[in-house]
Parts: sequence; structure tokens; C-alpha cells
Amino acid sequence: MRMPPFTLHTPENLAKALALANELDNFDWVAGGTDLLPNYKWHLNPKPNVISLAKVNELTALSGTVIGAMVRIHDLANSEDAHPLIRETAATIASVMIRRSATVGGNICLDTRCYWYNQTEEWRRSIDWCHKCDCDTEADCRVIPNQNTLCVATYQADLAAAFIALDATIHLASGAGARSMPFAEFFQLDGMTRNVLKPGELVTHVTLPEDAKNWQGAYQKLRLRETWDFPEAGVAAAWKLEGGKITGLRVATTGCESIPGDHSELAETAIVEWSGKDSIRELADGVRKAVKPVSNTYFPPAYRRKMLRVLTRRALAPLEHL
Amino acid sequence: MLPSAGKETWNASVNEEQHEHLVESNAILLDVLRDQVGTLGVKRGCDMGTCGCCAVLIDGEPRLSCLCLAKEAQGTQIVTVEGLADGHHLHPIQQCFAEAGGSQCGFCTPGFLIVSAALLDENPEPSRDEIKCAIEGNLCRCTGYQQIVDAVEMAASMKRNGAIPPNPTDPKSDPHPLGPDDPSLPPGSSK
Amino acid sequence: MAKGYRQAPGKSGDKKRTDGKRVAGQQDFGVPGSGGSNPHSNLQDLDYVPESVGGWKKQPRGPHVHDRHITGMTIGKSVPLVDSNWKVTGQAEYGDDIRLQGELIGKILRSPHHYAKIRSIDVSAAEAMEGVFAVATGQDSVNKFGVLPVTKDEHAMAQDKVRHVGDLVACVCAIDEATAIEAMNAIIVDYEVLPSIHDMEDGLKDSEHPIHDRGKYHIGESNVQKRVFQQFGDLDGMKSAPFVHESDWETAGLHHGFTEPHAVVAHWDPAGRLTVWTPQQVPHYLHRGLSAVLDIPMHQINVHRTFVGGGFGGKSDPFPHEMCAAILARKSGRPVRINFDREEVYWINRGRHPSRIQMGVFADDEGRIAGIETDALIDGGAFASFGHVTTYYNGVLHTAPYEIGAFNYTGARVWTNKPASGAMRGHGAVNSRCAVEVGIDAVSEQMNVDPMTFRLANLLPPHSRTITGFRVTSTGMRECLAKVREQSGWDEKFRNLPLGKGIGVGCGFFISGSGLPIHWDPENFPHATVHLQCDMDGGVTVHTGAADIGQGSDTAVAQAVSEVLALPLDMIRIRSKESDTAPVDLGSYSSRVTFMNCNAAIKAACELRDKVMKAAWEITGYNPDVLVLGDRRIYYKHDPAVGVSWLEAVHKAQADVGSLIASGAYRTPPMGGVHKGAAAGLAPAYSFSAYVAEVDVDVETGFVKITKAWAAHDCGKALNPLAVKGQIIGSCHMGMGQVLSEEMKYGRDGHLMNPDLLDYKIMSVHEMPDVVPIIVESNDPEGPFGAKEAGEGPLLPILPAVCNAIYDAIGIRINELPVTPDRLHKRIEKHCRKIKVDDPLDLPVPRFEPGPLQQVLVERAEAHAKRDHLRDIQEDRSSYVNGVLFGFDPDKPMAEQKEGWREAVVPTPQDLADPSKRAARAWGHVERRHRGDE
Repeated sequence: MRMPPFTLHTPENLAKALALANELDNFDWVAGGTDLLPNYKWHLNPKPNVISLAKVNELTALSGTVIGAMVRIHDLANSEDAHPLIRETAATIASVMIRRSATVGGNICLDTRCYWYNQTEEWRRSIDWCHKCDCDTEADCRVIPNQNTLCVATYQADLAAAFIALDATIHLASGAGARSMPFAEFFQLDGMTRNVLKPGELVTHVTLPEDAKNWQGAYQKLRLRETWDFPEAGVAAAWKLEGGKITGLRVATTGCESIPGDHSELAETAIVEWSGKDSIRELADGVRKAVKPVSNTYFPPAYRRKMLRVLTRRALAPLEHL
Repeated sequence: MLPSAGKETWNASVNEEQHEHLVESNAILLDVLRDQVGTLGVKRGCDMGTCGCCAVLIDGEPRLSCLCLAKEAQGTQIVTVEGLADGHHLHPIQQCFAEAGGSQCGFCTPGFLIVSAALLDENPEPSRDEIKCAIEGNLCRCTGYQQIVDAVEMAASMKRNGAIPPNPTDPKSDPHPLGPDDPSLPPGSSK
Repeated sequence: MAKGYRQAPGKSGDKKRTDGKRVAGQQDFGVPGSGGSNPHSNLQDLDYVPESVGGWKKQPRGPHVHDRHITGMTIGKSVPLVDSNWKVTGQAEYGDDIRLQGELIGKILRSPHHYAKIRSIDVSAAEAMEGVFAVATGQDSVNKFGVLPVTKDEHAMAQDKVRHVGDLVACVCAIDEATAIEAMNAIIVDYEVLPSIHDMEDGLKDSEHPIHDRGKYHIGESNVQKRVFQQFGDLDGMKSAPFVHESDWETAGLHHGFTEPHAVVAHWDPAGRLTVWTPQQVPHYLHRGLSAVLDIPMHQINVHRTFVGGGFGGKSDPFPHEMCAAILARKSGRPVRINFDREEVYWINRGRHPSRIQMGVFADDEGRIAGIETDALIDGGAFASFGHVTTYYNGVLHTAPYEIGAFNYTGARVWTNKPASGAMRGHGAVNSRCAVEVGIDAVSEQMNVDPMTFRLANLLPPHSRTITGFRVTSTGMRECLAKVREQSGWDEKFRNLPLGKGIGVGCGFFISGSGLPIHWDPENFPHATVHLQCDMDGGVTVHTGAADIGQGSDTAVAQAVSEVLALPLDMIRIRSKESDTAPVDLGSYSSRVTFMNCNAAIKAACELRDKVMKAAWEITGYNPDVLVLGDRRIYYKHDPAVGVSWLEAVHKAQADVGSLIASGAYRTPPMGGVHKGAAAGLAPAYSFSAYVAEVDVDVETGFVKITKAWAAHDCGKALNPLAVKGQIIGSCHMGMGQVLSEEMKYGRDGHLMNPDLLDYKIMSVHEMPDVVPIIVESNDPEGPFGAKEAGEGPLLPILPAVCNAIYDAIGIRINELPVTPDRLHKRIEKHCRKIKVDDPLDLPVPRFEPGPLQQVLVERAEAHAKRDHLRDIQEDRSSYVNGVLFGFDPDKPMAEQKEGWREAVVPTPQDLADPSKRAARAWGHVERRHRGDE
């Protein structure tokens, strides 16, 4: 499949990359390419310029608390230093071949996905175009018709849930300087806006809190096949045990809406009076109610919602007897 | 003619041979390998990173060439399925795919071979589960994978034992064989 | 020729000279100057030679007509595919690997509408573009084509209307892909959108704009493309049977999912002949199609089959894009290559039909299958393709392996505005087979008998006739069931596993080659022809048109020739790619190639062998009756040291004629009944299979994981066990995909939502369980060396085995495919509500208490096993017709049979009275020619 023409820029360091970003007014970043290139092959919002970060060496730090944006998912999944929950989550992403190219930053910035969007140009012509791209046609949203203000494409990156559960901080940089924020605040509705990145800005790295090593966790992913498939729903949970008691609990979801969901408030409430299975059930119901998937991925939304409850329960299973 | 992306010189070593081509700035490695380098053994199955038919080794690591910008593979050492054999001596993994039925229609075979060859370089004695994890990014519609896993296991053992696949250019059967000192028993003779 | 070339009669062994001097009869054979250092031919492997011709191989099922051609060379041995070295080195050239000097790239403009009239097409802007060499539209080719001569309804490009999203409208060829795409986008088409049909039941209704117009043969004003009615046996007996299981199935459409997208290269050479390179399963029908579409004689066309990157039925129609490439190449004067994107592969489709099947399985109080009643409505999409046949297959292919009291089938295929359905591995039989086998399981449960026993007590014996008149020769069904029962530990596991774990059994029955060729010359046209050529080098070149699509047909034919001529495989060369040099073979469909092509090859090889043997006679003085073919040698039966080498005999045989050539052909014998549709499903032999599958069902999520499968398939004789096992396991993989995950999903407006390999869910290596392939050899009397098919039949049983295992695990009867987690979860929730269980983890599991019929059936199964054995070894040669179990007397004419036994292929109004039956509604229309329109 042929991509639209664009010029590829390959700066060797971050400074050059950011400078280039300042110069070019209409461009995309590309890291591993496993998200951007299929989208370009489908002619989804292509830009005339693409800046590759492949040669930028500054973004590949990897330790227990620092994860560079250009760390490959494969390396993350096999790293001995990374947090076990991050490793576990990374190992479920797509297939091993995709993981060898894909990067942490790319996964975090994954474009939202939708059955009516992730199709060829010819296909989209047959539905009279899609709201998320081909916008000059003023196409309506095909998922929820008769409204063309909101894009409901689904955010299907696994790592986000784990990062939120571990209370990570995301670090951005642009020509104007660097900034950081709690991971969950990085995302912004709707499916087209996706996140707070400004033009010319990129994700440099993610940091975990110093005591992250004291947190354990689990990631549960709903997908038909144990490889390739994006999460139809994903639940990450992380908890801290002190003296046999849960002193911290965070839960996050992904793959259900246009942005990942942070359910830590629910979780914090739940641990005040923790009663094992019952608390888990209650929390799982809460998570289910908090999330409203739409019909634009493989599984129907009602099923995905119901499964959130099961996935949450399973993620929290180690806490059943506390 | 169409406005296309500007062209730049691209070079890399493909199967130990230095190649230099003028390619479009946004060229995909798969297209360059097939259309310009001429390594047609690299297959285009889905073009989207699912099927794994386009896998090649880039600096020793299996990668999907359909999702790789050619420019990012600039100056690398690329090995395609054509580069696995040593002259006419097949790589053990090639020999075993043939012998164990790991290849039926053969279209996905180049991808599986590349991935498996890399696995054997990394892990000389992989378990069946480890093999499965290594080939999870490759799609085969014919074999149901079982004979592919068999083939990789067989190749691992062949490689460990240092066995060398036969050279296909060795003389084939002689249509005029020398007379037998110990002739075979014909059907009908006593045992 | 070198001297010392001939071995005189007499012993040579003891007196071997070492001084280099040659004395007649007293040294090794001389070197013939043809090179080679391999000193001896191989010992004949008597393990592979049947007892009936002096070997050690046991023949539990009696001798075979090809036994005397067994030389112990390759048949029955696991050999790698003869073309595998091309595949593993990347040298195999598939469709898109054909690169010609000066090639242009072709692109196809496709319809963005489900259904629309084309008012006008303006190609001027495209034509004017620099780098564009030709543009073509429907007006460039008005002739119809289609794989079946009776239902030609396709054109190279749309004539007046487009019939589905992705239908071909125009095509361009240009200097490169980018220019071709740009030109394609510059073509302006003015459409008038028509109301489209997406639900197959709407296809049964009258329509203002039927998708096709078949003139006087059109069925009313509907979109019914084909309808079938068949009623055989004792219908009343069926209706009054006490045990009944009725189910209403919905099965999704499927795609073959081969890894190689379609690609074609067309080139007109300077002499004006067209060569088309294409990955085709059925090059001959393309050959005919090109001739019709281009209005040129067939001899002006050379169809060159490339390596085929998977077919499974999906590359067996002549395709419009192949016509487009030829048209563009003709217009532009340059070679044109068209390579599909994955999405286009789904547009052209020809996959499994989406279907709605109402299935009734009836059993009487003696534990016999009183009848099978089927109403199958299948969704053909926008074109006929193989659909005429599919409509029959959905019914007629479940008239075996069981003896049934009645068969009542109504089938209909409708056109809808979707990509066309067609033939896919297990053509037409898969969905309805699944429904039958699940019904059998359910009826067994009603009767309190083990479904394994129920099946074993109701099998048709070998050498029998089915209720609609198919000739069943060999059947290994009983052995298949026995083997999977034993190896799976069925008796301990069935209905004894805990919640969520289940075991199930399913059987299959499939044709081994279709009895009638599609392009049927009713006189003498053979289905397969093979030419052999042996020149001075002694090697044998096989010319065959059989299309190797990865199933290994080149290898099978090489083995057949190698076996008869006692030559190692490396001396056999296969030339099967070009129609210019290959005799006509009808193609790789309906599992016919091994059966028919190897039969033809054996005939040809025998002819060649006889020529060589005659020469050996002249040299040795021994009559061929006492000469034996060994490995590259022909020797005297009673003194093996006396003989000649293959090459020596070949050279002698060539003395007056030069190159030795031989030809063999295969044609099916006359078979079957005379009723309308009697030919559908007729085959010279049938394959049988029985699988047991074990599953884990996660009752909270609805996920089903197949943990293990035991797959017994009766392939008659495994010519190459490695390849047969590969086919069995591969079939399992595809069938498991169909039962658990694969479907062509259509959105609410009829759009195909998943035209890619990420969302069309083919099982990965992780979902694939351990499959134990079990080969059963029933030694078919007509099969080559006893062989039958192994490519399609093995797919059938895995679906019902899994469905039945799910029932065993959680007590829910499946009637919708695929059983995706969301669907099953819905069923579990519903089931829980129905039986008032809050937590699915508390669901009750079905258990088994044998009822009084169990013992009756065990005894009948034992008696039948003896009956079948005698027929197998041909001690009992009496005729057997389906119905004997019910008192039918095969020696009496129909009129004298017991009351109620009937045969009908046209329904009466009463037959169609039930308004809930869908396909029956197709019979509510009157064909135009019968209503006086014309």
C-alpha cells in the first residue's frame, strides 16, 4: 500500500529534533512506526513532513523509575530493571514482531482507533468519510451519527493503564521548554484531541514514584487472540501492602474510551474498609459503571463493559483474602 | 506525473552485498527490498504488520520490513531469506522446514525462517513454548503451526549437533547404477 | 554408448575382478558415461510392498488394483515437498514476484456504493495524465464469464451497475503505482444509487431491482440465484420419530485468509499471444474465461500458474482482475502487473457463505436415525461463483456417513449486495455438517446413549449407496471413531469433566473429487491428463496441469510416477505451470487432484514402464512377466543379479523412437441417480473423519480454549504421511478459526468492517492446541494406490467436535458461529437466568446415565463392525443401499417398497407449508419462463 508523499527528517539529537519541529509547521513525529505507518498507508491524516526520533539517543533511558520514550516495547518487556507491572503489561502488547519496533512513547501517544476510521481511503469513501479524518468533507461520526462535534474513537494502548496505576509522571519537551504532569492528566477528550501535546511537543520520558518498587500490581487484558490484538478492555491495578494491610490501591482502565480511565478515587475509598472479595466486587462494579465504551472495536460495547468487572476482579484477585 | 517525495541515496548491506539506490524520502524498506534491491523472497502479505511475511534481519534482529522506513535502515546489515543459505548449503532451519512440513504454500515461509533463524542464534535449545513466543508475530494459514514448531525444534538440534544439510548440487541418483553385489530381494522371493 | 554397458545374464557377485579388466558377466556394471558416483541402487524396501505382490506390507482390507505397481520407492513414505527448496530459499515466484521488462502497474477503480447504476464514466482526465498508458472500463469487454457455465454473471468490469462495495468499475495502467493511483482517482463516475440488500432473507423477496437478470430463467422478481429441493426416504416415519432435535443455525461468512494477496501479470508477446501469470488453483477455467472475455481462441493464450500462496478455494474462480490485466496489457502494448492490497482480497472474496440453517435430526425408538431435515438459506453475495453447487452441497453432503431413514432438504442461495461468496475448503458441507453433528449429539442425549455408540451403530457400510444414490466405496469411519475414542480417553472423560472442561466428538464426510467436471463434456473428456517424457538422460519429465497450491500435488504426482517406474524422486521433474505445455487438468478444487491426477499419472507411468520393460526383455531375454522393477534396475525375478539398469533399458527402448513418451488420463466412472441434481455431490470416492476435541470454557468471560484435538482422517492411503498430517493439522487450524473467531463482520449499513488480517481473526500459534493427527487407511478401490482426499474433509469434524465439547463443559447448545466470547457470554447469561443461577461458576454440568437403548446400540455396532469387515475385505460383495436398516429392499423397484418411501425433487405445496422455513420461501416464486412472460 502506498503512503502519500512526505519528507522524512532524521535528526540525531533532541535539540535538533525540537528545532526542526519549530521550523516545520505541519508534521508528525514517528518513533517505531508501528502506529503511524499503517495509518499513513491508510491515508489517515498524513502530513507533508515526518520527523523520525529513531536516531535520537537521549530518549532511551531505562531504569526502575525512568523509562525513556524511545525505549522499545520489546526491550521494556525483557528488562530486568523495569517495574514488574510495566514489564508484564509491555509483554502483552501486539506481537513480538511489533514489539521489536514499537516504542513506549509511541504506545502512549497511540492514535485512537475505530472501525470506521482505521480503513483504507477507498473504504472510507464508501461510508462517505469519517469525522476523525477527511474533515474537509464535514463528515459526520459514523459510530454515533447525527453529531459531528465529538470523536469517540477508542484509545487502545496498554501501557497507559499500568502507568496510571503506578502513579507515573509524564515528561514532555518542546522548543519552549519542558513540562511534566501526572500521567492521567496527559490525556484529553476527545478521540481527535487525544492528549495535551502542543504542536512541536513530544513525550520524552515517564517516571515512576521513588517508592514504586514497593507497589505490586497486575494487568488484565481482553482480546480474542494472545497476540496481535489491541486491548478491547484493559485493567491495571497496583497496590501497596504494609504489615498485611493495603495502604494504597490504584486502578486504571484502557481500551474502552477515547482516553484511559483513572479509577484511583474509587480504589482509595475501597481500601478504607477493605473486606476482601466483597470490596473487590464492589470496586469492580464501580469501574464498570464509570466506563462507557461505544461500538467501534471488535467486541460489542456491552460485553466490554461487563468484562471490565471480570478483569478488575481478576486483577485484584491477590487481595481477595486481605 | 505525481508529486512524490524527494529522492535520496540509500545504502545498506543486503545479504552481505553493498547496495546503493535512489529512494523516495518516505520509502518503506519492504518496497525498496522488493522493487529496487530485488530480493523478492521478502513477501508482502498484509502490509500492516500482522502477517510477518516481510520479516528480515536488520543488524541481526528480526524486524517487519513493511513497517520500517527505509531511511531508518540506512547503513545497516540486512539479511533476507535469500541470505540464509551458505551458497547452496541450506541453513539448518531451511532444511528442517522442508523436511518437517513446515512449509506448505510457502508464502509465509520466508518470514518464519527469518524469525526462527534469529531465535536459534539467541537460544540454541528453545522449548516449544519459547518457539511459539518467537513466532507469534507470524501468520501461517496452511500448517496450523504444529509442523513449523517441529521444524524449529529439529533445526535447533541439527544446529547443536553441528550437522550440515546436504548440498543439493551433489550428484543425484545414477540412472545406470553399478550392479549390486548384494542384490535386493525381489518381491515374491522368500524372506 | 560406452562399451561394457550391458550386463550379460549370469551371476556377477562372487567373481568380481579387481584388475580393471572387463569380462562379460564378471564385474560391476560399467559407468555409462552419464556421470554419477552413487555405486548401487537401493535395496527394495519390502515393508512398503504389499503382501499381494510379494512384500511384507499387511493388507487388512484386501488387495488393491495398484498393488502390482508398488515398487517400494516412495509411496507411503514421508517425503518433503518436491518444491520445498524453492520455498525455503525465497526462490519460489508467486504472483507479485513476476517482474517483466517494461512492466506497467495496474490499479482498479472500485465501487463506493453497495448497489448503483452507472450513469456515466469519464476517463478523459485519467487518460490525459502523463505516465498513464491505458484506461479501461466495462465497455472494453462486454462478454460474460463465470466459473460455472450455467451461471455466468460476471464481467471484467461493471457494465451498467455495480453490485457491491468494491465491485470493479474501471482500471488503469501507468508507469508506476503512484501515477496509477492518481489516474484511478481522476476517473469520474456518475452513479445512481439503488436500494441495496444486505440481509439474506430480503433476497427471497420480490425486488424492484433484482441484482441480476437471468431472463426467462429468473426466479420470479426475487434475488434467488438457485434453489434446491430433495426429498428421499420415509418422511412419515421421520415425522413420527420420538427423538427430535431441531435447531436454527446462523453462521457467519468466512474468508480463506491465504497469506498471498491476489496478483496477476499479463503480457502479449510479439506474436500476439497472451501469457497470464497468476496464482490460480484452476488455471484451465481461467483459460476458458480469458478466451471468452477477450474474444480470442484458447490457443492464443498461455496461462502460467505461479507458485500459489495459499488458495483454499479462494483462487479458483476466473477473476475479473485477471481479465483487467489482459485488457490493459492489450491496450497499452506493455506487460501489466496488478497486485492486490489486502482489502481488495476481501472485496473479491469467494469465501464461505453466511448461512441460516434449520436442522432437524430425528431418531426412532430403535436408536436409528429416522431422518435429517434441512432448510438452508445461504448468502451468495453479488455473484454466482460456485454457488449453484454450494446450494446442493449444503444438503446432499450429509446423506452419509450415517444410514438415514429419510432426507428432506430445501436449499436456496440468494444474491445480496456483498462481496461474492464461493468455494472454500470443505465447500458447502461445513456449516450444515456442524449442525447435523450437533443434532446427533443432542438426540443421543435425549435417548440416553453415548453419542460415540450412537454413531457407531448407524454407519453406512463400505460399498454401499446413500439415500440419494452416491456410490460409497471405502469407508474408514468406524476405525476413525474407534481410534479417537481410544486415544482421547473418551470413555473416562465424556460427561465426567468438571464445569468449564468438556470433550466432544464430531464426524465428517467429504467428496474426493467431483464426479462431474464443471466444464462437462458428457462424452469422453477426461478430468485429468498426465504426459510423461523420458529422454536420453533417463530422467522423467511429468507434464501435468494440476495446480500445486501448497497442498503438494506436484509431490504426489512425482511420487506416483516414481513408484511405478521405481525411480528415486530426484529423477522425476514436474512441469505443471504452463497451459502451453501441460495437458488439461480441471484444477485444484473439490479435493480431486491427488485422486484423479495420480490415477492419470499411474496410467501414464505404466505405459512408459511397459515400453522400458519390453526393451529389458530384448536385452535380457526374459519376458516382462518375470522381470521386476527395482530401484533404477530391471531384473530377473528369480535371480536378481541378472538385469539391466534403467538407463540401459531406456536407451534400448529409444532406439527407434527417440524420446519415450506416454500419456494417461482419468475419468470418473458412470455413477449416481437420474433425478435432478443427482450429480451434485457425486464423487468417485469419499473421505471420512472423526475428531474428538477438548475445551476449556471460561464461564465468566465466554472464552473457549481448545486444549487438545484427536483428529482421525480416512484418506484411503497416505501417499505421503507427512503431507497428510500437515493437511489434517492445517484443516483443524482453519476449522477452529471458523468455530471460534473468524467472521466477515458487516456493519449496520452493510459495510465489511474487518477487511484486514488484524480484525479478521485467524488463530495465532498461541490459540492452536496440540493436534494429534491419526491417519486411517481404508484402501479405496479406485483411488491411486488406495488414496483419497485429505485436504478438505479434515476440516469438517472439528467444528461440531468443539461445539459438542462446549455443551459437555457448560450445558449450552451452540447454534451460532463463530462462538466468539461475547456471543457465548450472552448465551451463558441467558442460560443462568433461565435456570435461575446467579453465578455462572455454579452452573450445573450435563451428566450421562446410559439408558436401555445404550446396550441395544452397543450390540448393533458390534454386529455392524463384523458386517463391515466382511465387506471391506470383499468377502461380502452383496449390494447395500441406504434404507436396509429400515426395511428397504434394494432388489425391489421403488413402487414395491414399503409405504411412504419416496423420491422427489420438486416440492408440493404441502412441503412448503411451514412459513418458518426460509429456503422453502424461494419456491414460492415462479420461474419467469413458467409464468408465461416470454
